[in-house]
Amino acid sequence: MAETTYKKPVPRIDEETRGYWEACRRHELVLQRCGKCRTLRYYPRAVCPECLSDEVRWERMRGRGTVYTFTVTYQNQAPGFRDELPYVLAYVTLDEGPQMLTNVVGCKPDEVEIGMPVEVTFEDVSDEIAIPRFKPVAS
Amino acid sequence: MNSIRDKVAVIGVGCTKFGDLYDSTYEDQVCDAAFQAYADAKIDPSEIDAAYIGTYLPHSQGGKAGISLADPLRMYDRPVTRVENFCATGTDAFRNACLAIASGQHDIVLVVGSEKLKDRPGRGIPRIGHQILAKGNTAPGLFALAANRYMHEYGVGRSTLAKVAVKNHWNGARNKLSHLRMEVTEEQVLNAPMIAWPFGLFDCCPTTDGGAAAIVCRADIAKRFRDDYALVKGAALAVATGRPYFDPTFDYVGFRSTQAAAKKAYEQAGIQASDVDLAEVHDCFTWTEITNIEDLGFAEKGQGWKMVEEGRTRVDGDMPINPSGGLKSFGHPIGASGVRMIYECVQQLRGNCGERQVKDPEIALAHNVGGPGAVSCVVVLGRQDS
Repeated sequence: MAETTYKKPVPRIDEETRGYWEACRRHELVLQRCGKCRTLRYYPRAVCPECLSDEVRWERMRGRGTVYTFTVTYQNQAPGFRDELPYVLAYVTLDEGPQMLTNVVGCKPDEVEIGMPVEVTFEDVSDEIAIPRFKPVAS
Repeated sequence: MNSIRDKVAVIGVGCTKFGDLYDSTYEDQVCDAAFQAYADAKIDPSEIDAAYIGTYLPHSQGGKAGISLADPLRMYDRPVTRVENFCATGTDAFRNACLAIASGQHDIVLVVGSEKLKDRPGRGIPRIGHQILAKGNTAPGLFALAANRYMHEYGVGRSTLAKVAVKNHWNGARNKLSHLRMEVTEEQVLNAPMIAWPFGLFDCCPTTDGGAAAIVCRADIAKRFRDDYALVKGAALAVATGRPYFDPTFDYVGFRSTQAAAKKAYEQAGIQASDVDLAEVHDCFTWTEITNIEDLGFAEKGQGWKMVEEGRTRVDGDMPINPSGGLKSFGHPIGASGVRMIYECVQQLRGNCGERQVKDPEIALAHNVGGPGAVSCVVVLGRQDS
């Protein structure tokens, strides 16, 4: 499971993000819903950006969405990313509404299209961390 | 609220050669630009009351605080402030200098932008990863996400983007100070190596070293220095979220910080977008120039690309954009870029630009946007008789 060859930055868990990463480790995508104004938000934060309440509930997402926009990156010399060129950076709109900056994997970069349905997939990069990305919905 | 309009004059400007300046230091650039501006204004440095230095990314040779200007220029015992505001650093430094004059605190203020992006460890701009958000997002990649969505919504192809590069390189090839001083063809742009779809190499501005300077003073004393000074008509800054991809209202086809800054600057100037005779806009990527045209109000949203296709943004068009060559060809030393735009606007208003001179301009605009979309600054300048 723990891959010592993973060269990209490995996220550190903190109190704001613990629930998110613990769910990712179980290969579940969860977002925070404000306990007061009910706004669903991404990324995980201690305080609601709409009403400033710190009442937080974690809510499991269906893990499906569509590509709002994307780019195929051909140049990035940062460790780890360099080895995966070209890769897809995308902005995915979840069925539940929030949008995530993410990667589309599991297909050739030139197969990605705006509006394409995608579903979450997890890459296990350490004992604690699995990174959510998206892949085309199997037809 | 009082407008800043006509309270501040630009009496001197200077600009270094832009490029890979491995043979000059950060401080050399500050001195080169500042002394050009002193000579242009025919001013003795002892008359400067205060200074602002714009640098985005401090270099081992300087850029972090007021001393970055005070030491090379020996400008001691006076207020010197470093300004940093992403890619709007240069125009925001200029804006702060204007506010210092308009407040009545100072009579004459120096603005310098200087940036060394080339000879530093890990050349270029380092990407600092966010714990959750870092997905391999590069600067071209973040703008490319917006460009791709725009092209999808409005049915625009890469050949339209390429025309921005062709036009700006044509202008820059005629500018002795520009970094990439050559013309390119649409075919060359389209066939260049891909950086981040839809941007190829020639859709991207270079990373550049350079410096630029401007001297501003109370408008009522400007005549002491020169007759053909420029007047500051408006100078506005707007900040939006630093993570526009998580702003639910952000549709990725334009930048609200530019829209807000432009609206404010036009209000201050008492003008409309259609009164602007030329604009130096933030073309960090070819698509960015197209959205800027719209966000600044020169075209409706989704229509700006047609102005490019119709050649209206060329020097001889009815809305000349980036007659200097823009970031695309002139180069983009981040903190210097905005001040360099002021330099170009002033030279255009004076009629000094030769083959790329816009015909008889009265109102010129300088615009930076950074983030992408997080921060934007718009400066409107007018001829002394405007």
